[in-house]
Amino acid sequence: MMKNDLKFRSPTFAERIRGMLGVDFYRLFHTPVFYIFLAISAIIPAMVSAMTMMPDPEGNTMEPLYSNVWQIVAASEPLYVIKSIADYANMNMVFIFGGIMVSIFIGHDYKSGYVKQLFTTHAKKQDYMMSKTVVCAFAMACMCISYLIGGTAAGLLVGYETDVNVGSLLIAILGKIVMSLGWASLYTFLNIIFRRYFGISIASSFFFGTGILIIGAAAVVENLSLPASFLNLFLYGSSVNACLASNIWTLLICIGVSLGWTLVYNLLGTRLLYKSDVY
Amino acid sequence: MNAIEIKNLSKNFGQKQAVCGLNMTVPLGAIYGFIGENGSGKSTTEKMICGLIPKSDGTIRLYGKDHTDPDVRAKVGVLIETPGCFPGLTVWDNLMLQAANLGIRDAEIEVIRVLKTVRREGAAGNKYKNCSLGMKQRVGIAMALLGAPTLLVLDEPLNGLDADGMRIMREVFTDVVKDGTRSIVVSSHLLGELQKVATHYGIIRHGKMIREMTAAELDADCRTFTALQSGEMSRTKALLCCKYSRVEEDEAGYLRVYDGVTPEEIVVYLYDNGICVSEIRTDKIGLEEYYIDLMKEGK
Repeated sequence: MMKNDLKFRSPTFAERIRGMLGVDFYRLFHTPVFYIFLAISAIIPAMVSAMTMMPDPEGNTMEPLYSNVWQIVAASEPLYVIKSIADYANMNMVFIFGGIMVSIFIGHDYKSGYVKQLFTTHAKKQDYMMSKTVVCAFAMACMCISYLIGGTAAGLLVGYETDVNVGSLLIAILGKIVMSLGWASLYTFLNIIFRRYFGISIASSFFFGTGILIIGAAAVVENLSLPASFLNLFLYGSSVNACLASNIWTLLICIGVSLGWTLVYNLLGTRLLYKSDVY
Repeated sequence: MNAIEIKNLSKNFGQKQAVCGLNMTVPLGAIYGFIGENGSGKSTTEKMICGLIPKSDGTIRLYGKDHTDPDVRAKVGVLIETPGCFPGLTVWDNLMLQAANLGIRDAEIEVIRVLKTVRREGAAGNKYKNCSLGMKQRVGIAMALLGAPTLLVLDEPLNGLDADGMRIMREVFTDVVKDGTRSIVVSSHLLGELQKVATHYGIIRHGKMIREMTAAELDADCRTFTALQSGEMSRTKALLCCKYSRVEEDEAGYLRVYDGVTPEEIVVYLYDNGICVSEIRTDKIGLEEYYIDLMKEGK
């Protein structure tokens, strides 16, 4: 080969993202943490259902937390600020476990030096953000399904009622699965910010996942006399909005909000990766 | 066209300037030994070349293109500090993952090729976390070789390698650059090993390139000396010190005279003073001594 014959070919976006998604999915399926969190997602609703039916020390049976199997999956109405643990303990909890799983998953990228190896190739920062968001969203969607199976099985065993508007239930489940994308992008972004501090990454994911900030937002909305549906603009608000009283608009809002925040967090994460030291 | 052309490169970490106004040229087909003290800015420079950290100022061009251009990035193989491998996965899986990231078709064939190159085809099934330091280093080099990169940037690749490993790496390096289009940048503190393969050198200090030269220029720059042994070393040294300006005792116990004097002259001088020389030869200082001298000059 002559010295002037050197030719370089840029891999296409499709080639890059296919390679990166392939790697991330392979890793996900070979990471024990993924399966552990799938199990946690199934066990937690079962535990919540079973424990709230246990008799107290005097032998009196406690008032059940739920009256209907599907309340374990979604609240009966959009409750932005919770009144009881039953309003809180539903599929939205997956977004807390999911945050921790994403932190561990992405934390491993940095701890192992994989990110260093990756970004010395043609891989682009936006590819990384996109790939991680998609794979983590998939993992969280799987956790939602796992939660659904665990919660339904526990509810049936305990003997709750099963009456439900099937359409609303399906929309609520679909809505929460769709919201996984937005949550995954948030957690990916948080883990990019705190990439050097694994503990803070997990803590921040947990903090945001609990939706605690929605209380502040709800107070602001109330003070400004804005409609409560304004809270649906946020990830947690939209996730709560996917309830047993959902309609097609609920799903459309979930899709819009999830995609919107995914775009925002991906852009921010990409910018941060370009501006800061990768490793 | 050069493989790497760096002009006025700077990198600041807050108030600290890790690299300041560095210029560096790595020609095509070169094995470029990048040398410097700990904290001199070698790794920072290499990380900037590899796009791992953004530069504060200056330009980095790889094969005439900006170093961030994905066209050239696809053909750069890197080993910075330690290989980026998942400890729970096997060596094979880790290499396959990197092959997928590089978009290599026939990844299995390529992974077998690089494992054979570093003589570690038998280790493919081992979990990375169970590999020894030397084996990990070989896996890292195998990873850098995936996709037959045009430029290799290797930071301390010889760390942890045994004698056979070092010999294999020398063979790998010379094999990579033999067609004259591919280049390697190697930073290492094992200067003796580096000297056996490097065709070019760059010496960095406090973030600045203080000398760049070819192996031939280094050879011409290296001072010659006469090394000798006698039965009475302390008296011999005292006598030599009286006549010559620079006389030192080396690690092997030889007295070295650096004044460009012939062995015959020394033998006659010592004989006249009642000392018999048992062994004498002329030699040149190596890269290591050259580097130490250079650092002393700077201080």
